[in-house]
Amino acid sequence: MKRELHDILCCPVCKGDLTLEVLEEDEREIITGSLTCAACNVVYPIEEGIPNLLPRNRDE
Amino acid sequence: MISEQVYQPEADTYLLLAAVRDEIRGNERILEVGTGSGEIAFALQEMVSCTVIATDINPYAVKAARRRGIEVIRTDMCRGICSQFDIIICNPPYLPTQPEERIDDWLEYALDGGPDGLLFIRRFLAGISCNLAGDGKILLLISSLCGVKTCEELFTDTGFSFVMVAGEMIEGGESLFVYRLQPVIQSEK
Repeated sequence: MKRELHDILCCPVCKGDLTLEVLEEDEREIITGSLTCAACNVVYPIEEGIPNLLPRNRDE
Repeated sequence: MISEQVYQPEADTYLLLAAVRDEIRGNERILEVGTGSGEIAFALQEMVSCTVIATDINPYAVKAARRRGIEVIRTDMCRGICSQFDIIICNPPYLPTQPEERIDDWLEYALDGGPDGLLFIRRFLAGISCNLAGDGKILLLISSLCGVKTCEELFTDTGFSFVMVAGEMIEGGESLFVYRLQPVIQSEK
């Protein structure tokens, strides 16, 4: 995902803002990282360039 | 090789794509909900200067779409997206499917519309308004299998005005239609 995409993403549960953390990035985009919803205390992964914003079970 | 778990372009895909092309003026922000193989989003981003973003719930579909260079998000409809779009496109799952007919694989998400075929469409229309820009519009494909009249009543009930912008007869007596939906503005008297 491109960095700009972060601006339009939100927590799928509370619709709140997400904090971006980048682990791997090339010249075009973010490959691996995470998006954290502080309000829900949930981390949504970015893997293979794709943010996964499906609600997550607490034990996952 | 594209996974067998991903909906591949069919007549409905191409009918919707043609209708979308007719609607685009350029520079619109476009969201495709349930992009599947990414056929429509791919064609649009190749063709126009629009911003195209796509979603799908299916892990194989998002990978297939990304391989085609599409900016894709894995989420349920547009749950993980907070911005607004000028055009929202959707070729929903609309096949009427009884619980005992379900096979529970990822491709089924692209097909199964619940017992009356309208399960996804109802959820989609109920939640979509917050992602539509002020003069934004939805281009939604429906099939005669879920009942044209029933769909039109649903559009009205969920607060949308509608215009049928494309139609096509396919095999087995089924007809496909594309509707342009816009929220009805509540005017003050």
